[in-house]
Amino acid sequence: MSTGSVEVVYRGIFQKTLAKNICRGIVFAAKNEGKIGIAFGRYSDSPERNGIPAKQFAVVADTEEEMEEHLSRYEPDNNDVTIAADDTLCKGVESWAWYGLQPINKLLTEGGTLLVASTRSADKLIGEIHRKGKPYNLATVKGTASFSGLWVYKDDHTDVRLLGALAKVAPHLVSLDSIVATISDPLKVTSAKKAYDLVESVSVNTDQGNDEVPFEFEMPGWTKMEEGLVIRGMAGQQEVPGRDGGYVPTRNPTFKKFSTRTMRPVVNFDTCTQCKICWLQCPDSCFDITPDGFYDANMEACCGCGVCEAVCPVSQCITMVNEEAFTDNAGQWEMWTKDKESYSGWLSEKISQPPARTHGFHHLGQYAEEIANDPS
Amino acid sequence: MQETTIALSDFISTQVLEPWKGIKKVAREEYFTSGHRTCQGCESALVMKLMAKAAGPRSIILGATGCMYVANTTYYSTPWVVPWMHTQLGSAGSAATGTVAALRAMMRKGKMEEEPINVISFCGDGGGADMGLSAISAALQHTHYNLLIFMYDNESYANTDIQVSGSSPYGANSTFSPPGKVHRIMHRRWKKNTAAMLAAGHPDCKYVATVTAGNAIDTMNKVRRALTIGGPTFIHSLDPCPKGWDYDPKYSHELGELATETGIWPLYEVEEGKVKMYGKSKHIASGAFKRKPVREYLLRQGRFAHFVEEDIDYFQAKVDEMWEKWLVPGVIPFAQA
Repeated sequence: MSTGSVEVVYRGIFQKTLAKNICRGIVFAAKNEGKIGIAFGRYSDSPERNGIPAKQFAVVADTEEEMEEHLSRYEPDNNDVTIAADDTLCKGVESWAWYGLQPINKLLTEGGTLLVASTRSADKLIGEIHRKGKPYNLATVKGTASFSGLWVYKDDHTDVRLLGALAKVAPHLVSLDSIVATISDPLKVTSAKKAYDLVESVSVNTDQGNDEVPFEFEMPGWTKMEEGLVIRGMAGQQEVPGRDGGYVPTRNPTFKKFSTRTMRPVVNFDTCTQCKICWLQCPDSCFDITPDGFYDANMEACCGCGVCEAVCPVSQCITMVNEEAFTDNAGQWEMWTKDKESYSGWLSEKISQPPARTHGFHHLGQYAEEIANDPS
Repeated sequence: MQETTIALSDFISTQVLEPWKGIKKVAREEYFTSGHRTCQGCESALVMKLMAKAAGPRSIILGATGCMYVANTTYYSTPWVVPWMHTQLGSAGSAATGTVAALRAMMRKGKMEEEPINVISFCGDGGGADMGLSAISAALQHTHYNLLIFMYDNESYANTDIQVSGSSPYGANSTFSPPGKVHRIMHRRWKKNTAAMLAAGHPDCKYVATVTAGNAIDTMNKVRRALTIGGPTFIHSLDPCPKGWDYDPKYSHELGELATETGIWPLYEVEEGKVKMYGKSKHIASGAFKRKPVREYLLRQGRFAHFVEEDIDYFQAKVDEMWEKWLVPGVIPFAQA
């Protein structure tokens, strides 16, 4: 007699269908075992926004009473398995419905498993994941993050592979046989079984991981709000030491948006012509104006949409690079002014790594081409 | 950034906002700043930024329900620097008239200093072209009120996950019109011609323009022109929506430009009874620029991924008709009988 739950943390819209397929798969597999299952999205993540982290849950129970007891909570706060459908979510999750950054393993139960789809090693991922006060396991399924859009789904078997791996790391929830019984396509059955065999799991201790304290905000309770729900405005400009003559706009202090990012722009200041187009066209106003008239993408405000790269008239001046290649949110202009030569080396090292990511639909037939060219 | 003002004792003065001639002249201050919860590459967020930047610090901005309300003001957290207020879905027009009337009354009674304050009320295509149309129509008849209604049109109810609006294009996939095996095209209405309808139908409306944020300087200058002219004014912006149109967010800028280059989205302004095309649309109208085929625009978006040649041809024929048969090409439909 027991209940269990799985949360799927994913990139809003880009992986909405993927997350839905995983949660539905769990429910149907549970039914095959005579259990009861239910799948639902986190209410406050709706409406989803492209790239902003969101969650869906699947709950499995042996009896109806246990299911009812479980569902009397707002949402599962203690999960047997957390699935991160994109490995850059390991850096932290700032949903659009709450405040501050939450560690990806926050809702994971002691001894539970964080299951990540990634091409990177467990060691690399552990370096990014915030420390947890309790031991847990980290399991990885090899693969790039599968992104598509709201209408056209990229059916590259990521859903069944994660389901196969789930059966290995949490056999008490669903077995591989019952997962396989829900899949009609024989090719997908092979993918699920392969993932079951190949998933790698390591245990993570309390002293392993990123020791940074994620940022938090205290929001006023309803008794503290002003009459008419007035929010006090921000001042027009920030004082930034060492940036005399530059301009840094005030930024909303309670939402930073950088955990939305899966790629980030790197700027070659040596070829920049100071045309200002990136600064003007950035929907997130993320470019700070430097005293010498350059435009420096602020990595706390940048959500990695790639518009700056698309509008930049200079070839390879702004390049989008996979977020995996970075461990911090340091400013690039400061690095460049300190030491131009080493910046140039840093830059060419970063842009030499191809992005291996896209943000969805470019043209008709593209997903089929991508699947055909994907070695995994 | 200091703006000179024309002081008129009857409260109908406006701020004089000269057009910005080139990107170097654009003010660097942001009045809609970072930290909004919109999608990656959200063009409507860019439009809000440009609109607020163009209007300057002495502005009040009102917003009807939609993405730009929900994503920008979630529980005590906001990227707005200028005063902002939410109003209900259909009331962009009434909120604007009410705010201007209140400002006038406060100034008349000496409760606040007399000064021209920009009042902009924005709405999405759901709030503007559908639900709020009557209130906007009423607002555009108040000759003595200085207000700008700004409609950001992402061609669906995008905030609630993409339902069809009066502004959705023919055949687009949406939550209300998913293509099926029996019926491929579930949305058969042609997009509502909102800007021209309001311009043609409201003789007291001082200024109407269509914009797209891919053309940022023009977009800001149209806002500045509208606010300088004063009286009731209306701007309609086409905003590519990476979520609902289903494309890689980095193409937001490019798709806005393509919409103009294919002739689907004509750029024009109507002032004192004269319609004037600008940007690429001017060259399309004069014949100096040949319209790109609509397929270049359509096949870049997942919402049209179910289109077959027949649908593309139909779409092309409708756009051709707009430029070749209409009384005022791209603006006023009807051919002469």
